[in-house]
Amino acid sequence: MDSLGLYVLAAAVLFGVGVYGLIVSEHLMRKLFAINIMGNAIFILLVAASGPVEGAPDPVPQALVLTGIVIAVSATAFALALMVRLYQETGQATLSSRDEGDDG
Amino acid sequence: MIGFLLDGLIAAGLVGLAYQAVTSRSLFRGIIHFVVFGLTMALAWARVGAPDLAMAEAAIGAGLTGALMLVAYRRLVEDRRDAPVDPGPAKSRLALPIAIGSGLLVGVIGLSALFSDVEPGQAGQAVLADLQQVDLGNPITGVLLLYRGIDTLLEVAVLLTAFLAARALAGSESGTGSPTTQGPETPMVGALLAVVIPLTVLVSVHLLRAGSYEPGGAFQAGAVLAGAGVLLILSGRIAAAETAGLLVRMGLLAGLVSFILIGLTPLLHGGPLLALPGLWAVYFIETAMMVSIAITLVLLFAGGGGLKRGKHG
Repeated sequence: MDSLGLYVLAAAVLFGVGVYGLIVSEHLMRKLFAINIMGNAIFILLVAASGPVEGAPDPVPQALVLTGIVIAVSATAFALALMVRLYQETGQATLSSRDEGDDG
Repeated sequence: MIGFLLDGLIAAGLVGLAYQAVTSRSLFRGIIHFVVFGLTMALAWARVGAPDLAMAEAAIGAGLTGALMLVAYRRLVEDRRDAPVDPGPAKSRLALPIAIGSGLLVGVIGLSALFSDVEPGQAGQAVLADLQQVDLGNPITGVLLLYRGIDTLLEVAVLLTAFLAARALAGSESGTGSPTTQGPETPMVGALLAVVIPLTVLVSVHLLRAGSYEPGGAFQAGAVLAGAGVLLILSGRIAAAETAGLLVRMGLLAGLVSFILIGLTPLLHGGPLLALPGLWAVYFIETAMMVSIAITLVLLFAGGGGLKRGKHG
């Protein structure tokens, strides 16, 4: 097992952690962490699993991941704006209605 | 052996930080864990041998995403201080099996790609061979602008769209809570800015220039420049305005418009779309994209439609 294999395994575990967080967390910002972690796992997978070309990772997946990082921050910024607006409208930053019973 | 141990530590750290980010009790700690996760990602990229990604991750993934999350967190807590910000994790019996299953799926895909018999990196080899003819030393810049130009063009468009959408969502009361820190009048702040801001601009211009022959490029440069803007906002030198001035609007659109215009010109003499006419076009578009990326990210952080002189400007 070399380092690339190690990072592929880490990507798999990270993806699992991301999925777990996405299901379990109630707060939308935490769901955003989870989605970003899943995205990062896929980024690692893309670069690590593509194998080296002349000593460095394949430049094509690297360019794809570079694009992906910028798209991820764009989507995150938009999602944060959505969350803040939802909070201003409803007073909570979750999608579930489970907490309504606690208030009454 | 030492390298393998280091990789093991980084991988374990990534998993631990990710788990902490999604499960830690307070949301604020979650944000901090997430930022550190991004920085560790940058380390991982450097270890894999992808310095371009390491810089992008450190500047964009960890730095600006973290700043955006902290600003959003602040908007959440400043509205109602008494309300519980985080209801805590939900109970779900299916969460663990689904997570393990999807992790296994990704692992199997990755390992089978890593150990398959197909010769790896054929596209990469083609790129490296082809770039020998062009005077462009950094293959990633080459891929981004010469071979996957449409991706890069759409990426700039997505960034602009995200900004416009976030702007459209912002309620009328937004922008009142300026993220300025307390006491920006301290003499040290001015002295610090006088050193840091020119250095940041220098670094970003260097990254932009270096992007053609060594690690760097428009995205890293734009993110570093945006960092300077964030610092200026935090110290009250510039502030969010309701509407954008002409200069800010031109900066927002510069990357997209120049890319589209230069990308369309080959059509006039029968060439393919986005076949850039020469290296000058690559430099021109990269510079314009750097400005646009920086301004968009700063405006997303400031939560306004434009920029104006701040209270302490």
